[in-house]
Amino acid sequence: MAEARGFFTDTTICIGCKACQVACHQWNDLPAGRMGLTVLSGKSYDNTGSFSDVNWRHVQFIEQFSDDPDRTQAAWLMMSDVCKHCVHAPCLEVCPTGAIVRTEFDTVYIQEPACNGCRDCVSACPFGVIHMSERTHVAQKCTLCYDRLKIGMQPACSQACPTGSIKFGLIKQLRKDARTRLAQLQQEGQTKAQLYGADEQVLGGLNSFYLLLDKPETYGLPSAPKVPSRSVRPSSFWSIFTGLLVALGVLFQFRERKKPSPAPVPAGDTPPRQPEAQARGENTGEVRP
Amino acid sequence: MNFWVANPDWGFWIIAYFFLGGIAAGSYFIAVLIDWFGSEEDRALTRIAYWIAFPLTILCAICLIVDLDRPERFWHMLLKSEVFKEALHEGFPFSAAGWRLAVQAPAFKYWSPMSVGSWGLGLFGLCTFASFLSAVWPERWPGRWLRYKWPGRVLHVVGCISGFFIASYTGALLTATNQPVWSDTTWLGALFLASAASTSIATLSLIAWWKNIGTPEARERLRGAEPLALGLELVVFGAFLASLGDGLSAVLQTVRGNVLIFGTLIFAVLVPLLIHGRIGERRPWGLPATAVSVLIGGLIMRYGTVTTPGEILRRGPSVAASYAPEGHRHRGESGADIHNYGNTIRPRSKLPVNQ
Repeated sequence: MAEARGFFTDTTICIGCKACQVACHQWNDLPAGRMGLTVLSGKSYDNTGSFSDVNWRHVQFIEQFSDDPDRTQAAWLMMSDVCKHCVHAPCLEVCPTGAIVRTEFDTVYIQEPACNGCRDCVSACPFGVIHMSERTHVAQKCTLCYDRLKIGMQPACSQACPTGSIKFGLIKQLRKDARTRLAQLQQEGQTKAQLYGADEQVLGGLNSFYLLLDKPETYGLPSAPKVPSRSVRPSSFWSIFTGLLVALGVLFQFRERKKPSPAPVPAGDTPPRQPEAQARGENTGEVRP
Repeated sequence: MNFWVANPDWGFWIIAYFFLGGIAAGSYFIAVLIDWFGSEEDRALTRIAYWIAFPLTILCAICLIVDLDRPERFWHMLLKSEVFKEALHEGFPFSAAGWRLAVQAPAFKYWSPMSVGSWGLGLFGLCTFASFLSAVWPERWPGRWLRYKWPGRVLHVVGCISGFFIASYTGALLTATNQPVWSDTTWLGALFLASAASTSIATLSLIAWWKNIGTPEARERLRGAEPLALGLELVVFGAFLASLGDGLSAVLQTVRGNVLIFGTLIFAVLVPLLIHGRIGERRPWGLPATAVSVLIGGLIMRYGTVTTPGEILRRGPSVAASYAPEGHRHRGESGADIHNYGNTIRPRSKLPVNQ
């Protein structure tokens, strides 16, 4: 297996040019918008709003202003977001068909012919990356340009990035570069600068990790995404416990009881005959569907 | 809560599957227990469960298949499609090479609730089919054979376990995601199981009352089991709400979250307990009213559980209002001098504006 490859996105030098988005659309033959309509989102310069089946990259524009009436301080954060190709990928873990696989480059890839559109991966992805295609009705996301990697090329987005914000390479090397860059920023007084996904804390490590200038939530990244299977064991425990209580309740209600011995019949009296019992509307246990 | 996930858009078909599957599995589970530990006069009730479990399981399978975006590929849940196609290409089942590939084709991931659930539903379907045959034709083969021979016991053991599994794994399936509400609790499996018990007892009681099946004593015992199941459901529902912690406030801000909480409490628990305690059998409508209320409550619980995360994602996190540019500044971070506006916190669900 080849060494793990991925992206290091340095958001401090992203200029929001969207060259990565365009390159992704072009290489993967993704339409620019649905039905040829381009609608402004009303959210700064963000014209796609979120990931979707045709937007495998999403450039975020985050406007920040200070609290004072004149808004004397302002910051404009930009980040080119993409599938994280997690080491413990929730989508890969839950996929029941085996359509989602890990490649030899340690990236996560959806085999479209095997996907049956159950949407379990959509619910499992903590970053909202995966969406269902409206054309092919299967799950869609960034492939980390698997076809390009196979022939020794780098992904289209990182090649198109003019500032070097999206760096592609071996994960080990990228992590070293990221730590160096973080130290440099912190030396310059950027106390909020932090790496996201560069270690095993987030889903065992992200093969697409980020250098951020604010807390992850500001960029729409959960600070502690979960591996779905972590909850199966406690959930099973409580289910079994409840199942046992249900069984006990049924047993308590339906346990075989000792029937009281019939009272002695006074002489001269005879027990009612069956037809009379039925005439009183009593059920004899006979099944009448 | 994770507010940045996409909505899987599970809707009507999945809710129907959870509801009908709960009734089928709960009925079978309870019927087997009655079969083992109940008296002879109680056994007429078990036949109702065996009659309804198989048709309901078939309906469940149909719901699941229809819900897929590519329904024609439903078999990919059980077989690795590419391996199986290759096996066919190699001449399966008429060649050794084909068989060698075919034995590698089953797709079973024990760590994926959906994968295990697909196999579990298949196994449960087989058990309910055999029990259905033996209930419909008790004096013919295989009814007689299953009743008196050891295969009958094996069938009951396997059916009971798979019934328990089907009644509860759906909750575990929701928990094994990153959706708000679902992934914030580990009580959904238990809640679905408790609800399966109450709705299946309600269904059996209703059919027994309607068709006059079983002795009055047996029906009374079944009716007496309902408050026990409802009490358990109330406790488990309380544990579920408590396990949401701070997330409960986000649930209460949504319409469907309120339907989930108050609809379940009212229809699934309080009204049936009230009718059971205050009216009982004194009115002819007491029993059917209790059963219908429990069934409506069970349906509401599943509807609310399945649809609430979607509404939370559409509305954005509960704090979204404080991020709005119109006058409400973000106060969340102590000591912060730079604040976020507009698009910083938003759901990654489908946005109608630009898609």
